[in-house]
Amino acid sequence: MSIALLLIPLGLLLLAVAVWAFFWAVNNDQFEDLEHVAERALDDDSSAPALPKTPPRP
Amino acid sequence: MSQAAAHLHWRGAGGLEQVEFFAEGMHCANCARSIRSRVGALPGVQQVDVNLTTARVSVAWDPARARLGTLLDTVEGLGFRAVPLNGAAGSKAQRAERQRMQKRIGLAGLAAMQMSMYTVGLYVGAWSGIDPWIEQLLRVTAMLIAVPVLLYSGAPFLTGAWHDLRRRSLGMDVPVAAALLLAFIASVLNTWRNSGQVYFDSVAMFVFFLLVGRYVEMNVRRSSLDAGEALVRSLPASVTRLRGDGQSERVPLQQLNAGDRLVVPLGAVIPVDCTLESGATLIDESLITGEALPVGRATGARLPGGAINMGAACTVRASTDAHHSTLASMAALIERSQAERPPQAQAADRAAAHFVFWIVLLAIATAAFWYGFDPARAFGATLAVLVVTCPCALSLATPAALAAATTRLARRGMLITRADALERLAAVDTVVLDKTGTLTNARVQLAEVSCLGALQRAEVLALAASLEQQSAHPLAAAFTAATHSRVAVDHLREHTGRGIEGVVDDVTWRIGKANYVAELRPGGAHGTKLPDEDEYVWLGSATGCAAAFALTDTLRTDAAAAIARLRALGLDVRIASGDRRATIARVASELGIAAAEGRMDPQAKLALIHDLQAQGRRVLMVGDGINDGPVLASAHASCAMGGGAALAHAAADLLLMNESLLAVAAAVQTARGATRLVRANLRWALAYNLCAVPLAAAGLVSPWLAALGMSASSLYVVERARRFARAEA
Repeated sequence: MSIALLLIPLGLLLLAVAVWAFFWAVNNDQFEDLEHVAERALDDDSSAPALPKTPPRP
Repeated sequence: MSQAAAHLHWRGAGGLEQVEFFAEGMHCANCARSIRSRVGALPGVQQVDVNLTTARVSVAWDPARARLGTLLDTVEGLGFRAVPLNGAAGSKAQRAERQRMQKRIGLAGLAAMQMSMYTVGLYVGAWSGIDPWIEQLLRVTAMLIAVPVLLYSGAPFLTGAWHDLRRRSLGMDVPVAAALLLAFIASVLNTWRNSGQVYFDSVAMFVFFLLVGRYVEMNVRRSSLDAGEALVRSLPASVTRLRGDGQSERVPLQQLNAGDRLVVPLGAVIPVDCTLESGATLIDESLITGEALPVGRATGARLPGGAINMGAACTVRASTDAHHSTLASMAALIERSQAERPPQAQAADRAAAHFVFWIVLLAIATAAFWYGFDPARAFGATLAVLVVTCPCALSLATPAALAAATTRLARRGMLITRADALERLAAVDTVVLDKTGTLTNARVQLAEVSCLGALQRAEVLALAASLEQQSAHPLAAAFTAATHSRVAVDHLREHTGRGIEGVVDDVTWRIGKANYVAELRPGGAHGTKLPDEDEYVWLGSATGCAAAFALTDTLRTDAAAAIARLRALGLDVRIASGDRRATIARVASELGIAAAEGRMDPQAKLALIHDLQAQGRRVLMVGDGINDGPVLASAHASCAMGGGAALAHAAADLLLMNESLLAVAAAVQTARGATRLVRANLRWALAYNLCAVPLAAAGLVSPWLAALGMSASSLYVVERARRFARAEA
C-alpha cells in the first residue's frame, strides 16, 4: 500500500496544476465572451470593430 | 477617496449632491436595510435609496454638511464595495468581481472533486478495513486541500457573516458561515484525535454550490437592469461640440446646453434630443422604442436621444440639455420605479429575515435534542439544518420574477415607471381607451378651415399655429404642420381640456372649445352659429370668432387586432373620448365596441372611472398621457402612449415607447405571467423549506446533500425567472 505515498502527492500536484491552469484562463479573459467568439468566423469583416448595436454588457 | 470621481455623481435639486453606485456584496434585505439606516443616519444625508434587485444605491446629501468620501467609507465599513455604475472604471470593477468569483468557483469545484475521491477511500475503508496510517494520510490530505477552499473560495461567506454580526443583524451569511466553520473545526479536531468522521468534502461542496448560486444570481441581476437603464448608461461621457468659429471641442455631456451644435460620429449614441442640421442618416431607435430596423431621417428631423447613429456622421442641434432630455426623464422614471419596493417583495424580505432567526434557533434545538438522544449523530443533523434551509430562494422569488417581467417589457418598448405597476396591471378587468392619439394616430390633419371674420385663411392659420406651437396636445401638431408662418405670441397659457390663450399685438386670442373661446366676449355669444359647434376647434378674440377648424384623424392599423387581443384576455374594452360623438360612434362600430362615449371632458372621464370602480371593476386607462393626467392617476392601472415630452409629466404606470396598441395586451399578459411566477416561486420556496427542514432535523439528510438541495432551490427560482424574461409574449 505504500504506493499511496506516491499517488496522493501526485494527485495533489495534478490538482495544483489544474487550479493554476484555470486561474490562468480566468485572468486572461478566456471566459469573458462565450457566445460571440464562435460567430466571429461568419463575420464578413471580422477585423473591423463591430457597430455598438446594443450597449456593452456591464 | 480618489475613486469618487468615477462614480455617477451630480448636483441635483435644491443644492443637494447625488451619487449612484453598485453596492457589491449585497445579497439580502438585511444588507439593504443596514445601508439605508447607517448611511441615512450620517449628518447631512437627505435621502438614501437602495435597490436590492440591482444592488444600486442612490444617496442625496447636503454638500455643506457631508462629504462623498465619508459616505463611501461608511458603505465600505459595512462590508460592501461601492462600485461605479458607468464608464470604464465601472465595467472594469465588475469584470474583476466576476473573475474573482469564477476563480473561487473553480478552486472549490476542483477541490471538491479531488476530495470526493479521498472520501470514497475513507468510506470503503470504514466498510472493509483500512490501514490506520492510510486513513490518517487521506484525512490530512483532505484537510490540506480544505484550507484554501475555506479561506479563499469561502471568504465571501465568512466576511459577510462577520459584517452581519458586527451590524448585530442576522443575514443569510450567518447560518452559512456557522455551518462551514463548524464542519471544518469538527473535522480538524477529528483528524487530530485520529477518530470519527471528517466533513472536508462537504465543506468544499457546500462552498462550490453556494458560489454557483451566487454567481448566477449576480449575472441575472446585472442583466435585469432593464433596457432603459442600459440606455442611460450607454451614453457617452463627453460629446463633440462645434464652437461658433467652426472648431470642434470635447465637452462633458453634463455641460451641454440646448441650442449647441454637435457632431455625432457614425456608430455613436445620440446624446440628447436634437434636430438633424444637415444631411440624412439612418438611426437605430431599438433601445428606446424596441423597433428593430433602423429608420431614415432627413434634414430637419427630430432625433431622440439614445438612438444610435447608423448612417453617416452628422451635425445636429441639441433641443435640450442633458438633464431635460427624453433619456434623463426615462432615467428619472426608472429610478423612481426601482427605488420603491413593491409590497409583495417587502413582505418576502421581512419573512426571510425572521426565517434566519428561526433557523438558528432550530439548529440549536436540533443539536440539543440529538446530543441527549444519540450524540454521534448530533453534529451531522445540526449541520444539515443550517445548510439545507434557504432563505435565498424565499427572498429571491419576488424580485427575480418582477425584474424578469420588467426586462421582457423593456425589450418590447414598454417602460415600467412604478414598482407596483405589474401587480396592478395583472389585476385589471376593464380597459378604457382614449381615442385621440391612442386608438388613432397622433398625426391629426386639418380637414377644413372656415373663416368667420375679416381675417383670411392664411392669417388665421398663422395665428392658430403660433398659439399651438408650444402645446404637446396631439391636435396642436395639425396646426403647426399646416403652415410655416408664425406671429409673435406673449403670455401663452394652456387650459387643459379646453384650449390655449395668448396675446398677439395686444389682442388676447383663444383657440379651443367653443364656450372657452366665447368667454372672451362680454356677452359670451359667437358671431355666427354653426350646426354642431363642438365638432370644431374655434379661434377667436374679444371681437368675435375668426375661424372654425375641422380636424380628422385615422385609426391605427393595429387597433382592431389589439382590441381583439385585449378581449381574448377577458378584458372589457370601452372607449371614452373628448372627441365628437359621431366620430366616436363611427370608430366604435368599426372596432365592434359597444360601450363608447364621446364628448367627455377630463371630469367626465374621471367620473366614468369612479363609476366603474364603484361597480368593483379594476380599470386600466390607456391615454396619450398629456391631457389625461388625473384620469390616468385615478385608474387602477394606467398606460400612456408615446415618449418625448409626454415622458416628463407622465402619470402613467406604463409607457409605450413604440406607440403600438398591441403592446397593451402584451403588457397585461406579461404582468399576469409575472404574478403567476411570483406565486409559484414563493410556493416552491415554502414547500422546499417545509420538506427539507424536518428531514434535516431528523438527521436524514447528509450535509453534502443539504448543500446541493439549498443551492438547487435558489437556482431553480432564478432560472425560472430568467426563462420568463426570455420567453416571447
